Amino acid sequence: MADSLDARRVPQDANSAFRGRQTRGRAQPAVPQGSRNGRISPLMSADPLIQVRDLNKHFRMFRRREGVWGAVQNLFVREYQTVEAVRHATFSIHRGEMVGYIGPNGAGKSTTIKMLTGILVPTSGEIRINGLVPFRQRRQYVKTIGVVFGQRTQLWWDIAVIESFKLLRRIYGVSQEDFDARMKRFDEVLGIRGYLHTPVRKLSLGERMRCDLAAALLHNPPLLFLDEPTIGLDVVAKDHIRQFLRAVNREFQTTILLTTHDLDELCRRILIIDHGRVLFDGQLEDLKQRLLRMKQIKVVLRDRSQISALESVSLSGLELEHVDEMTCRIRFDRTQISTADLIRRILASVEVRDLLIEDESIEEIVKRIYAGEAFQELPAQAGPEQAFGNAD
Amino acid sequence: MRRLLEGLAPYAEFGRVGFVNILAFRLRYFTGIITYSLNVTIYYFIWKAIYHPGQSIAGYNMPQMITYVCAGWIIRSFYTNTIDQEMAYEVIEGRIAMDLIKPVSVPWMWISRAMGESAFRLGLLTLPTAFVVAFVFPMQGPASREDLLLFLFATLGSFFLMGAIGVLIGTCAIPLKSILALVRAKQWVIELLSGLLLPMPFFPEKFRAVLAWLPFEHIAYTPLQIYLGKLGRTQALHALAAEWLWVIVLLALAHAWWNHSLRRITIQGG
Repeated sequence: MADSLDARRVPQDANSAFRGRQTRGRAQPAVPQGSRNGRISPLMSADPLIQVRDLNKHFRMFRRREGVWGAVQNLFVREYQTVEAVRHATFSIHRGEMVGYIGPNGAGKSTTIKMLTGILVPTSGEIRINGLVPFRQRRQYVKTIGVVFGQRTQLWWDIAVIESFKLLRRIYGVSQEDFDARMKRFDEVLGIRGYLHTPVRKLSLGERMRCDLAAALLHNPPLLFLDEPTIGLDVVAKDHIRQFLRAVNREFQTTILLTTHDLDELCRRILIIDHGRVLFDGQLEDLKQRLLRMKQIKVVLRDRSQISALESVSLSGLELEHVDEMTCRIRFDRTQISTADLIRRILASVEVRDLLIEDESIEEIVKRIYAGEAFQELPAQAGPEQAFGNAD
Repeated sequence: MRRLLEGLAPYAEFGRVGFVNILAFRLRYFTGIITYSLNVTIYYFIWKAIYHPGQSIAGYNMPQMITYVCAGWIIRSFYTNTIDQEMAYEVIEGRIAMDLIKPVSVPWMWISRAMGESAFRLGLLTLPTAFVVAFVFPMQGPASREDLLLFLFATLGSFFLMGAIGVLIGTCAIPLKSILALVRAKQWVIELLSGLLLPMPFFPEKFRAVLAWLPFEHIAYTPLQIYLGKLGRTQALHALAAEWLWVIVLLALAHAWWNHSLRRITIQGG
């Protein structure tokens, strides 16, 4: 395990810009052949890249009293309040996985990422990544990771982007030819050449984010952390960055852990966290399968007179919503009534021009999880392959 | 040797970035020349008012005192830094996280950046100010060529002393959050205790005995005494040794304090 620090993936693509990444001739293929496409099943390699066990982080917050008298009191006697930002988090992530870490604001996502990147020291619990303990062996450890914080930049604010890149090249000891090759590749995918000579403060958010992504990947780390990488970006830029991440994960088997609160379908595996607890850990598909309860059918009728007939069909506890005079939306619980049955009943009683069956959106499901509803349903249904972090 | 050079490369680069970074604020340096010249002017007139012709106070005659003031402000423009302020802002705004994800020693990173800035100031602030001041005021040259050399070496020591103090104070931002008052207090205390405002013989005997056990007087007083040729060769070398011993002690303290404080870091927002 300790050896694997320098054990880099040998890229398959001979023209790869990332090819030069052998550090002083110690490169060796560390990834099992089967994992080339970046989708490793947990059964394939025995030791995970990231191992987190019973991780806790408590902050002691100074509670301010109100008013003038309160302010005077604050000077002499301080009241503290303990905030449990992360509670009993346990999970592991394998090489080549791309995992989404999802939760509402203040759920503890960023705190977890900051502990995983060695910035914060855990209150208790264990983190082991690539055989290293991030905060204890920080300088050695951070050479093997790339980090992007959506709300911050690691580039120097007042100097041209290229100057920051040159500095990072020195810090990580990247050779000039690797550097040139990677810069060329980043330009191809992210199109950053145009603003390399602009100071960061003059860049738009989208441009800055592209530069930050390039900066985080300059030393071709086997592990990439992203904290809300698409926050505040427009749809086009978001999509651009998603595609780039997918490509990085596929081409270089870079393990990616990203937090977000918009649920794009970027990651196959997701971890849902709220109030510092891991609520769900599993495949996105599984989550859908298990928690998808509500479905809806949009019905476009042939003419207006059919509306009353449709209303009679939906009497049996279904929600009917009028979109316009010809269109209705019926919401139903698929555990109560099967989709096929319902369609049969609709077709039997009304003349329909068009039918559209929609699943509940993932956002809706996650909203139910946060609300605590879905949470109760989960343990009973959980199969053995699914790990539920402390569903107590 | 090669490994050592490789290990130092990032820090040289931090120095370069410090240098480039400052270029973005060139105007500050032209106003800096005026500010420093103004300071010298104020102290020139104060001492001129105090001294009677031919008088000597605490062992300094008037030309020596004027030279002390001029050289004192000139070297201050080199050895000073803003590490503590910048660290305070980084901690408050949470940018400190971005330093911690880099495989470098953060205290050395700050000192290297300050070094780049000092190198820049040397060319754009210290030398022009020296030129202006030497032209306007009756400033004496260094006592001898050897004294000049020792003086330069002592001034380099002043830079490291100030760098270590900067990291020590800046790190206080981790437990205390708001340290701008502390930064300001430090600035005044150092101006006074380093001997920049008044040479050490002006302080009461007992106070001086205490100060002799502290590092501050090495920042300005030691290099200036050497410049004026007030110390004999052995005394000068002793003073230099004491100064560099303090450099090592303070750098070690700065690192220890930083490593200790790291465990208490909290990062707000984002």
